[in-house]
Amino acid sequence: MAYFILKRLIQSVFVMLAVAFLAFSLFRFVGDPITQMTGVETSVADQERLREELGLNDPFVTQFVRFTGDMLQGDFGFSYRTRQPVAEMIADRIPATLELGIVALLISLIVGIPAGVYTALRPRGVVSQTILMTTLIGVSVPTFVIGIMLIFLFGVQLGWLPTFGRGGTVQIGGWESSFFTVDGWRALILPAITLGVYQLTLTMRLVRAEMMEVMRSDYIRFATARGVPMRRLYFKHALANTMVPVITIIGLQFGGVIAFSIVTESVFQWPGMGLLFLESIRFVDIPVMGVYLVVIAFFFVLVNLIVDMLYVAIDPRLRVKDAA
Amino acid sequence: MNYSLKSSALVCMTVLLSSTALSAETFRWASTTDPQTMDPHAVNSAPVLSFMNNIYEGLVRRGKDMSIEPSLATSWEPLEGENGWRFTLREGVTFQDGSAFTSEDVMFSYQRASNEAADVRSWFAPVSDVRVVDDFTIDFVTTAPNPLFPDSIANFMILEKDWAEGNDAALPARDAENFATMNVNGTGPFTLASRDPGVRTVLTPHEGWWGEAEHNVTEAIFTPIGNSATGLAALLSGEIDFIQPIPLQDVAQVEERDGFKVLEGEETRVIMFGFGHEHETLLYSDDVTDSNPFTDPRVRLAAAHALDIDSINRVLFRGKIQPASQLVPAGISGYSEANSDRPEYNPDRARELLAEAGYPDGFSFGLKCTNDRYINDEALCRAAASMFAAVGLNAELSTGPVRDYWPQLREDDFDMYLLGWSPGTFDMEHPIRFLMHSQNDEKKLGSWNFGNYSNARVDELLPMIQQEIDPAARQALIDEVVAITQEEVAYIPLYTQPLIWAAKDNVELTQRADNFFLLRWVTVN
Repeated sequence: MAYFILKRLIQSVFVMLAVAFLAFSLFRFVGDPITQMTGVETSVADQERLREELGLNDPFVTQFVRFTGDMLQGDFGFSYRTRQPVAEMIADRIPATLELGIVALLISLIVGIPAGVYTALRPRGVVSQTILMTTLIGVSVPTFVIGIMLIFLFGVQLGWLPTFGRGGTVQIGGWESSFFTVDGWRALILPAITLGVYQLTLTMRLVRAEMMEVMRSDYIRFATARGVPMRRLYFKHALANTMVPVITIIGLQFGGVIAFSIVTESVFQWPGMGLLFLESIRFVDIPVMGVYLVVIAFFFVLVNLIVDMLYVAIDPRLRVKDAA
Repeated sequence: MNYSLKSSALVCMTVLLSSTALSAETFRWASTTDPQTMDPHAVNSAPVLSFMNNIYEGLVRRGKDMSIEPSLATSWEPLEGENGWRFTLREGVTFQDGSAFTSEDVMFSYQRASNEAADVRSWFAPVSDVRVVDDFTIDFVTTAPNPLFPDSIANFMILEKDWAEGNDAALPARDAENFATMNVNGTGPFTLASRDPGVRTVLTPHEGWWGEAEHNVTEAIFTPIGNSATGLAALLSGEIDFIQPIPLQDVAQVEERDGFKVLEGEETRVIMFGFGHEHETLLYSDDVTDSNPFTDPRVRLAAAHALDIDSINRVLFRGKIQPASQLVPAGISGYSEANSDRPEYNPDRARELLAEAGYPDGFSFGLKCTNDRYINDEALCRAAASMFAAVGLNAELSTGPVRDYWPQLREDDFDMYLLGWSPGTFDMEHPIRFLMHSQNDEKKLGSWNFGNYSNARVDELLPMIQQEIDPAARQALIDEVVAITQEEVAYIPLYTQPLIWAAKDNVELTQRADNFFLLRWVTVN
C-alpha cells in the first residue's frame, strides 16, 4: 500500500511538471505583465528595464527552468501584482476554496444519494418526476446564472443571506475557517449550493441509474425472495453495490469542483484560489497563475489517489486481489 | 460656455453636507479593483493613488473641483534667480505614528519616489535638484521654467523618513514586498487598521490629523468586488453603502429602488481613434496593400465625418457622454476654446473626401479595440465600424482584453486603434506630451503616440508650452497645437466618458472628475 502511494506521489511530480510546462507555454499569449504593473506615465525605457529585471526577455526555456527550479527548492516567487510571496497568497486562499468545495460536495451527497435511491425505487412517482425535472434545470442553467439568481432572491429581495464574501471567519492555526460562526455558515450557503448543484444532479442520476441496475440483478431477487427486510435490502445490499462507480465519478468531480470553483467564487466574491486566479489573469500575474495551476494539478492527483484508496476500502474484491 | 458654470457642472458633483449633527458611522464601500499595494510610490495607477490619498498626503492636493490647494505645503512660489519652486511646509503636522513632519521627510520621499524602483518617477523628470532650506522650507529646482510643477505633483505622497528607513522600506518594493507594501505611516486623515489584499481593507480616522474633519466615518471597510452584478447586489442588499463604478445598464435598476441613488459625472477621459501615421502600408486591408491611405489627412477627416456621435450617445450611452473636439474636455486647463468644434456627422462629405484622395470606392482596413478597458468599448467600435462602412471605409474589427492590447499597439500592429486618455496633470500639456509629440524615447516624449503622429511645429511648441509662465501666451501656444492637430486630424476625439457611481441615499460624498474617491468627504446620515 505504501509503495502504491509513493508511486502515485512520484507520478504526481511529473504531472505537475507537465502542467507547469503547458501553462508556461501559454503565458506568453496571456498579455504583457509590464504594462499591467506600470502606470501610463512610465517611460518605455523604465518598462524595458523592469522587463529585463524580471527576466521576461529570457528565452522561454530559461524562464521555465528558473520557475520550476525555484519551485522545487520551495521558492514560489513573488506576485507581479501585489509583490507578496506567492506561496503565502495561495496558502491564504486555500481554506476558502476547500471549505466551499467540501460543503458543496456534502450538499450534493446528502441530498443526491437519498434522492437517487428514492427516484430509483419509485421511478414513476410524481415526486420522482418533479425531482428529476428540477435538477435537470439545475444542470442546464450556467453556474453564474444560478448564482446571480440565488443572490437576487435570497440576498436582495428577501434579505436573508449575504450576497458576497465569507462573513465571519475564525483563525485556527493559520487556517481561516467559516465553520465556527453563524455568519460564516450563512455566507457559505448560497455559494455552496451554486457550486454543488451540478454535482448533486450528477450524483443523483448516477445513484438512480446504478440502483435501478442493481435492483434488477439476481442477488437482489434472491434476497427479496428470502424475505430480507426491504430497508436492509435497499441500503445494505443494493446501495453498497452502487457505490464504486459513484465514488469514482464524484471523486474525480471533486477535483473539478475545486479547480472550477472560479465562476462561483467570482459571482460571490468568495476569496478563494479561483478568485485569486481570475485577478491574476487580469493583471497577467504570471507567478501566481503558474503556481495556482500546479497546485490545482496536485489536487487532482491527490483526489485520484484518495479515490483509488476508497475503492479498496469499499470493494472487498480489490482487497483480495491486492493481498494476492 | 461659461467656464466656471461648465466646470462646476462637469468636474464635480458635490452633494451638500447636511447640517445634522455628525454621528459615528461605519462606512462600507466597494470598487472593481483592489489597490495592488499600500506603497504610494510603487505603482502609478488610479486604484492605488486614489486609495492612498486617504492615508498619505502630498505637498499640494486637489479639491472637490480638481483645483490645486495647499496640503502639506501652505504656500509655494517660483524660486528667484533660477528655475523651480519653493514650498513652505505646514508646521505641527504629525504622522500616524506620532512623529513630526519636516522637510527631511519631503526630501526623503522625493529621493524614494524618483528612484528607479519607483513607478512614479516620471513626475520628477523636470527636477534637477532638491534642497532643504530649513525644517519647513524646501526648494525644487527644475531644468527649465515649469509653471505647472506644483500641479503635477498632487499625487506625490510623503512618507516618514525614519519609519521607512527603519523598516527597510527606503525604496519602493519592485520584486518582493517590503514593509511599506502592507503597512502605512502617512499624515493623511485615515490610517490602515487592517489589510487582507483582495478581500478587505479597513481604515480608521487618524486622530492627530492636522485638518478639520468634514466626514463622520469612524471606520471604513473596503472590499474589491470584480463582478459588477455581485457589486450591484451587494449595494441593493444593503451590505455596502457605496460602489464605484456601476455599469451603464444598471443605472435604471438602482434609480427605481427606494433608498439608493446614482451619482453621475463626467470623467476627464477622452476616447479617441488613432491612426498609423507612419505605416507605409495597411496591415489588414484586402484591397489596398501597397500604401497607407491614412497618411492622407483627407482620408482621416473622412473617417471623422463618418461618425455620428449623437447616435452613439443616444443608443450606446443613454445620452451620458459629451462629444469631444480635442484631447481634453472643456473645463480642463489649457482647453482650447478657439477650437471647440468637432467634425460634424456628414457621410456625403466623407465620401467626397475619399474620392478626392483617390479612394472613390473606399478601402478596407483593420480597427483594433479593447473590450474591457473603457465603458462599452467593444459596442462603440462595432457601431463605429458600421458607420465607417456606410462611407466605404470597411473596418475589419478585432477586439481584445487590454492586457495584450498595449503590446500590440507598441508593435505597430494596427491600422486604426481605439484609445482613451485621461490627462494625469489635468492640463492640455499632458496629452500633447504623451500623444502628439513625436515618439522620442530619449526625452521620454510621445510614449503613447502609437501611430507616431509627427509635426515639427508641435514638437517645437511643447517645450514652449511647458515653460511659458504667462497664461494668455501659454494658451495661444496650446491653441496653435490644437489647431494643427485638428487640421491634420492627428486623432479623432470622440467623447468624454461618464462616471457612474451608486450609493445609499443616506450617504453624502463627492465624485471627483479624476474618478478618485476620498473618504474625507463622506458623511453617513
